[in-house]
Amino acid sequence: MRITSKRAAIVYALIVAFIAGVGFFVASLYVNGAEWASNKANRHIYSGGTIVNAGTIYDRNGVELAKSSDGERVFAENSTVRKSVLHVVGDTAGRISTGTHYLYRDVLSGYSKIEGIYNLKQTGVGTDIKLNIDSEANKVAYKALGDYDGAVAVYNYKTGELLCSVSKPAYDINKRPEDLLTNPEYDGILLDKVISGVYTPGSIMKIVTAACAIENIPDIYSRTFECDGEYETNDGTVICNGVHGEVDFQKAMNESCNCAFAEISIELGADKLRATAESMGFNSQLYAKEIRLTKSRFSPSTESKAELGWAGIGQSTTLVNPAHFLAIMGAIANNGTGYAPDRIHSLGAVSNIMGRNPENIVKIKPETAAKLDALLRSNVADKYGDWKFEGLMMCGKTGTAQIDGEKSHSWFVGYSQREDLPLAVVCVAEHGGYGSGVATTVSNKVMQYFAENLT
Amino acid sequence: MSEPKTVSQPKFKQVTVMFIMTLFQLLCAMCVFVRQEELSINLVCIFFGYITAEWIYMLFGTIITHNDYFELEVIAFFLSGIGLTVCASFSETYALKQLIAIGLGLAVYLIMLLLIKDVRFACMLRYPAAVCSIGVLALNLVLARNINGTLNWIDLGFFSIQPSELVKIMFILVGAVSLEKLLSITSLTKYVIFSLGCVGALFLMKDFGTALIFFFTFILIAFMRSGNIRTIVLICAVALMGAVMIIYFKPYVANRFAAYRHVWDFMDTSGYQQTRVLIYSASGGLLGLGIGEGYLRDIYAASTDLVFGLICEEMGLIVALAVLFSFAGIAFFAVRSAKSSASTFYAIAAVSAAGMLLFQLSLNVFGITDLLPLTGVTLPFVSRGGSSMLCSWGLLAFIRAAGAPFEAPKADIPIKKAPKNAVKKPAQKGGAA
Repeated sequence: MRITSKRAAIVYALIVAFIAGVGFFVASLYVNGAEWASNKANRHIYSGGTIVNAGTIYDRNGVELAKSSDGERVFAENSTVRKSVLHVVGDTAGRISTGTHYLYRDVLSGYSKIEGIYNLKQTGVGTDIKLNIDSEANKVAYKALGDYDGAVAVYNYKTGELLCSVSKPAYDINKRPEDLLTNPEYDGILLDKVISGVYTPGSIMKIVTAACAIENIPDIYSRTFECDGEYETNDGTVICNGVHGEVDFQKAMNESCNCAFAEISIELGADKLRATAESMGFNSQLYAKEIRLTKSRFSPSTESKAELGWAGIGQSTTLVNPAHFLAIMGAIANNGTGYAPDRIHSLGAVSNIMGRNPENIVKIKPETAAKLDALLRSNVADKYGDWKFEGLMMCGKTGTAQIDGEKSHSWFVGYSQREDLPLAVVCVAEHGGYGSGVATTVSNKVMQYFAENLT
Repeated sequence: MSEPKTVSQPKFKQVTVMFIMTLFQLLCAMCVFVRQEELSINLVCIFFGYITAEWIYMLFGTIITHNDYFELEVIAFFLSGIGLTVCASFSETYALKQLIAIGLGLAVYLIMLLLIKDVRFACMLRYPAAVCSIGVLALNLVLARNINGTLNWIDLGFFSIQPSELVKIMFILVGAVSLEKLLSITSLTKYVIFSLGCVGALFLMKDFGTALIFFFTFILIAFMRSGNIRTIVLICAVALMGAVMIIYFKPYVANRFAAYRHVWDFMDTSGYQQTRVLIYSASGGLLGLGIGEGYLRDIYAASTDLVFGLICEEMGLIVALAVLFSFAGIAFFAVRSAKSSASTFYAIAAVSAAGMLLFQLSLNVFGITDLLPLTGVTLPFVSRGGSSMLCSWGLLAFIRAAGAPFEAPKADIPIKKAPKNAVKKPAQKGGAA
């Protein structure tokens, strides 16, 4: 009897194991509950794989970009606004994986660890999200791009707020093309090019090369470079966009002289160039808060001098992500501290009170940033002309990304020095030709919009 | 009429607990009723009947036995009541069938208590029970229809019966009696052969989950009898090898395991049920979305295998955890009873019944939440279905019998040719609690 009594204690072991299992279940529910509850298969939120019941997405001025009404998702009234915010807001089926609908689906579902999605069930709406995006600015940028595809983004380099983010091509979410997923014409339309796109940078990469030169060549400002339209190395030739004669460092930047920058690149060498680029976030996984950015890549050739020269002027294998480059511009404008562009103003009431902390993802030495700032200001003041950016005190750099056999991409990256307008802009217009053209115009239009409406 | 061991059990405030439980069940009933378009008199009668039956059972029980140790019954009524609520939220037919099942379960419970009240009589039952078990399983193999890939059902028109559920009760009876009574190798061999017969039949029926439950119970009984960890390890090793071979040779079993811990990769195939359980369990939060308000109920087997998920979604995590801890309570009670029981038979039976309930519960709850592989067994007392309900109540009788304070504790009954030391020290058995 007593022996069996003792052995009966084996049941205690079973109870302990059982309660451990229950504990594990409750713990995973606690940790993963939001993700589980906001799964596409949850019919409280989704119907046929698309969101029907969820919180409202507002832009920074309180414009409703998407909301639930009577078991349906309703979008912005204006069709151009709908197109211009498509990638930011995202589709209801989660195909645009960087859209707010998909990325913040757990927030939109109104899930709470205490109540589950009871609130959503009762009211049909979950937690509201307010974006930093100004949908009117998006509309302006979308229209300004005209027939060109590409990406435009503007952010406040002092706070990290992403005010404008447009990716083209886009479609009207209320008139989704039937053959969206099958027609090759729509390839890549679900990609938010600001977040997930990478492009050959062209001359905007000279900003990075210049930073490397400032930090590694002490007498760079007293150097001169000879440009006769071509820079020859022992294994190839770098072609310039013109014949600039004798130029100094600043003039080389103003003229975007390929000969001078190829020479500087080769003198610096691949290792130093790469080190500077990587210190600015190239080749590493960056996040704009919750959003994963596609990596910018820079791997200058250590073998071929010509390839190294091409890499230093933004050709060769170099690729940049627009949102990342926006943060680089932010760093230059903001004494070396480049905040991550943050799309979200607040996720629900609590977050609205607490606010969101800006996150520093690009770091440049303050003295280097100051020198780059002067170079970029001189670009606009002495070369492009302040009349192109009336009243903005712009700094910036144009770029022309040459692509084999196609018309070049047109780039502009820059920012305003005005205290009351601490905005940086990045614009890439695909196949837009030389930089001073399309991208500059688009950037100016968006910046002028903010100059009128933000100040 | 001294009761030396029962004093160690906490005194049960029967009436208070009954009132609280009745209140809970009335609330459940209200939740079901408000969702009806017009109040269904039948449903009202079903709930009213159930609550009345509880009270009658308790009051009569108290009067007849002159005590109020009814912890087990209260827990079982609580669990059955939740099951009944779930059924009622589906349809009147389900509710009515479930009410009948609970009634039959209670009858089985009382009959079992009566049958095993006398150890000697229980001993005599073991051969008929063993023959009956093997016979039923064999019959099952011949007659069964294929339902959901397992052959474990016999259709009798109004009811389909899952014979293996009823065999569970006999399995424990046979095991507890055989091993309590005999030390001889032959009787052990006979029991092993009997067990292999049962498990083998279940494998032939492709009812992997139930086979596992039998196997686990077999180990538990063997441990209770031998107390030898090495023996248990050996058995486990052999079983493990067997399992590996089964998985190797039977692709259909392997398929079931493929999704294990990867259910989200198989969301619309073999992980369908588990992912839905997780999604909707999380949706329910602590208090649930309301009875009938969930979507898990539209998933196949929501009221049977997946009922735990349904409770999470509609009644909330707190009620779901109450269900789980109720079983822990039953198991806890079983240990206490086993320690104070009048015979080794009762101790073994109580422990193995509690172990079987707990193991089946774990297979069910952890299976559908992907902590264990999904095996498709029911949640005792709660899942819709008659066979499962009868089995649950039948098992409860073993636990109750061990701790039954119906009469004064007896000395350990010496059974023929048992060379035990049990006779020597009858008085000390329960003190150690």
